[in-house]
Amino acid sequence: MSDAQRPIDDSVPSEQPSTGGADEDDSGNDEFEPVQVFPEAEEMDLRPGADNCYKCSTCDTNCPVAEVDDEFPGPKFQGPEQWRLKRQDDHDIDESVMKCSNCMRCDSACPSSVPLSQMHNTARAEYVEENMSKFSREYLRNRMLANYRRLAPLASMFPRTANFVMGLSVTKWLGEKTLGITSERDLPTFATETFREWWTDRGGAKVQNENKRIAYFHGCYSNYNTPEVAKALVRVYEHFGYEVMVPEQSCSGTPMFANGMLEDARRAAETNVRELAAAIEDGADVIASCSSCSMSIRQEYPELFDFEDTETVAANTWDAVEYLRVHEDLTGALENTTVDDEFDDMAYHAPCHSRNQGLDGQTIEVMDAIDGIDAHDVGDSCSGISGTYGWKEENYETSMKIGEEMFEHMDEAEAETGLTECPTCSMQMEHGTGYEIKHTLEVLEAALVSDGGGSHAETGASSSLGEAEGEGKSTETGTESD
Amino acid sequence: MAHNTAVLVLGGGSTGCGIARDLAMRGVDVTLVERGNLTDGTTGRMHGLLHSGGRYAVSDQASATECIEENEILRDIASHCVEETGGLFVQRPEDSDEYLQKKLEGCRDCGIPATVLSGREAREVEPYLAKDVSRAIQVPDGAVDPFRLCVANALDAERHGARVETHAEVIDLLREGDDIYGVEVRHDSGPGKRTHKSPGTTEEITAEYVVNATGAWAGQIGAMADLDVAVRPSKGVMTIMNVRQVDTVINRCRPKGDADIIVPHETTAILGTTDEEVADPDDYPEEQWEVDMMIDTLSELVPIIEEARTIRSFWGVRPLYEPPGTGTQDPTDITRDFFLLDHDERDGVSGMSSIVGGKFTTYRAMAEEITDHVCEKLGVSATCATAEEPLPGSEDISVLEEGMDNFGLRSPVARRSNQRLGSRAADVLETDEPNPVVCQCEGVTRAEVQDAIGQSGSDLNAVRIRTRASMGNCQGGFCCQNMATELHPRYDEETVREALDELFQERWKGERHALWGEQLSQAMLNYALHATTMNRDNDPASGATQIDYAQFDGGA
Repeated sequence: MSDAQRPIDDSVPSEQPSTGGADEDDSGNDEFEPVQVFPEAEEMDLRPGADNCYKCSTCDTNCPVAEVDDEFPGPKFQGPEQWRLKRQDDHDIDESVMKCSNCMRCDSACPSSVPLSQMHNTARAEYVEENMSKFSREYLRNRMLANYRRLAPLASMFPRTANFVMGLSVTKWLGEKTLGITSERDLPTFATETFREWWTDRGGAKVQNENKRIAYFHGCYSNYNTPEVAKALVRVYEHFGYEVMVPEQSCSGTPMFANGMLEDARRAAETNVRELAAAIEDGADVIASCSSCSMSIRQEYPELFDFEDTETVAANTWDAVEYLRVHEDLTGALENTTVDDEFDDMAYHAPCHSRNQGLDGQTIEVMDAIDGIDAHDVGDSCSGISGTYGWKEENYETSMKIGEEMFEHMDEAEAETGLTECPTCSMQMEHGTGYEIKHTLEVLEAALVSDGGGSHAETGASSSLGEAEGEGKSTETGTESD
Repeated sequence: MAHNTAVLVLGGGSTGCGIARDLAMRGVDVTLVERGNLTDGTTGRMHGLLHSGGRYAVSDQASATECIEENEILRDIASHCVEETGGLFVQRPEDSDEYLQKKLEGCRDCGIPATVLSGREAREVEPYLAKDVSRAIQVPDGAVDPFRLCVANALDAERHGARVETHAEVIDLLREGDDIYGVEVRHDSGPGKRTHKSPGTTEEITAEYVVNATGAWAGQIGAMADLDVAVRPSKGVMTIMNVRQVDTVINRCRPKGDADIIVPHETTAILGTTDEEVADPDDYPEEQWEVDMMIDTLSELVPIIEEARTIRSFWGVRPLYEPPGTGTQDPTDITRDFFLLDHDERDGVSGMSSIVGGKFTTYRAMAEEITDHVCEKLGVSATCATAEEPLPGSEDISVLEEGMDNFGLRSPVARRSNQRLGSRAADVLETDEPNPVVCQCEGVTRAEVQDAIGQSGSDLNAVRIRTRASMGNCQGGFCCQNMATELHPRYDEETVREALDELFQERWKGERHALWGEQLSQAMLNYALHATTMNRDNDPASGATQIDYAQFDGGA
């Protein structure tokens, strides 16, 4: 018998459970949803990306790595060009993809909507999967850096010991020799109390308000290393009458994308999307204080993953300052506020990932509203560290070369304190200048919340409270200790 | 009478080059003349399908059998020109089950391996097939690069002592009484490798025997000696997509029709084609509706084609022929078989045969048959070895399969270069000179461009067909000038300029038919770049009047 006599199409038969007589009679089996057994390959189709590129090279001229490293072929090659040259069965992505710092400037530089970082992320993941030995020092080091969140809880259990050990020169020497982590940098110190511990001790939210809720995506760094930033967010948002929720969360995935660990990122993203979607269901918007976390949830998740609710979570995620500017009269609230000397003149660096979200101008505008603060924009250069990138021994010099322009501008600006929203940019700023670096939310806290270090401008705050809130109005007066 | 050569082959397409190689390998002194570049006629204007024979399995089983035999030979002797993509004959709900059944049985009758896939199995092979595709037959179709295959034949012919003259147009057949004894050609820039701006010359080449392998132009050649060769040239359009929407050859499983095939070809996919008789193979209309119709029809099989970027379209003319008195109306119905017209037997004029009809996949078998015929005339007893002897570049397949050397190139560039050059890769790419990428779209390096220039003189279109440089999405916008620069200092500035203009014009010719969406943006960017960096919109250096350089300041 010929196999041409096979059925026209072997759709999976309906397994629709019986739902009761009347319904079944009406609809029969006509409306069954076929079960998708094979994944749809076109879910991550990069063809339009390759089609959109007309090779103008604007991405290359905006790439901070290509600017200082002649060996780096640039985003056009890493993305559309390599994609087009590679055939389905080829598994040899060029190793230069590991030199991309994932700053994603190419995305906003492209005049033709080529999803460059998406192409880079997938190429990098393929390179790591197919071409990098799973036993190599590079792989182990990258895996460790990408999964910083898994190591952090250990260090946080004994923060003082961890900080002491990590600060030892012998540790740094070992780190460089055995793992390829540069000894030039000081490893970030761990807080003695994580944000989440503080949040639990505090008894959670101090404001209940079913009409104004946010789900705070604090990310790893403000939990383990700079809880003061996370606390500032809570106090500022509670000041405006928001009920803050702190859902379960994993790493945003940014360091995993940057290291080609797409499977690790997928696991983390799955948790985040599930938890954040539940919070959105409860009426919250998602707020992040780290610009790379918000970037990841908004752009990379929908580009790379297809969990249920990915799009919804992306569409309802905001940067912390952006959200207040849109939903509150933030500059009004800041009028006539002052801050202590510690926030005097500030050198502000807009992180690339803020820039890509169109948020690079907002901080200076907000700072200008506060009396006594002079914030200087140090220009549109990249800081050069790009997350885990600048921590690698082989990238350290490139990273510092990229950062040079920013260091110079910081030096020229009349300020001794730095300001930014990205944890690793702040490490680089500190490393290159020795300045103390603050997060914008810390300044807002100082200006708006009475115990935060500055004077509390009653008028602005209460007017916004009064309008939006009813019963659940905050009575908190800032008595918690920390 | 002393002749210049034993056999003179007219036409540098697949047939002509195949014959020249076969003759040369049998020790026959052979000269090949071609009006333009190698492949300039129909060979360079096809969709690059290496037939499994499945296409003819119902209508023409003799051709189908020949196709599968030659398909297997070419995979062997020209492995660096062939990509074993596999092929599908795809059935839509409105296509007949009966035909599919016939196709399957036909394939089996002809020894073509064929398997039926369900719609879903077919979509597993090619995820972008339409959701309602109901079944498909899987066959061993492949993709072949006609340029490199043809060039490899010519190169091997030269290695066996043949003389190959491109840009040598036949302007007269030399006939004395009832005997043809040679041709008169006009060399565009003198004999030998082409050098632009060199003065043209004419040459009489005499031969014991002339083989007219000019395909669609065979009638025009015949007419020079008052011979009637009734070729029926039929045009077909092909459209090149920017990327591969499919990695398998996709055919429509129905009796016949326009726009029923998509061939993945190198970095691109080629859509084909139409079939319409034309009067003059050098002058026929190229119309936009043909392109539109093809994209629309093929979108029924692969819907994403509708929105995808096309980078150019081109037309080719088939050298269709049928014996006088057959009278087929629709060119689609004319046989694809080839005919050897011995003008001695047919017209009483000795010294020449014409070859018409035929198809690319079976070029080697055709060449063998014709060479046998010529050898018989000349009394040569050597036998054909073209089915066993690999072509230059395919001598050592293991080079391609295992020991891929990177030659210091980035991975995808190295891979593409290695596949194009095959076993010649090391000879070409091992260099002490800096070896930057000249054509970014196709990953072609300077060493490969230099190798091609060494083969073909100042002719950049000849470099193009050897390397694929300028055949990618920018259509030469970013690389034509870099290719031209490689001609210097071997060639002077004027020659370089003319070579550049010619290449860029050729690229523009096809790009004109893709001016919407992204390719329109590309064309505008190319225009702006060339205008602002090279003055190519209005270059005073190419004007008639001398430039008064004294008018310029010192640039300070």
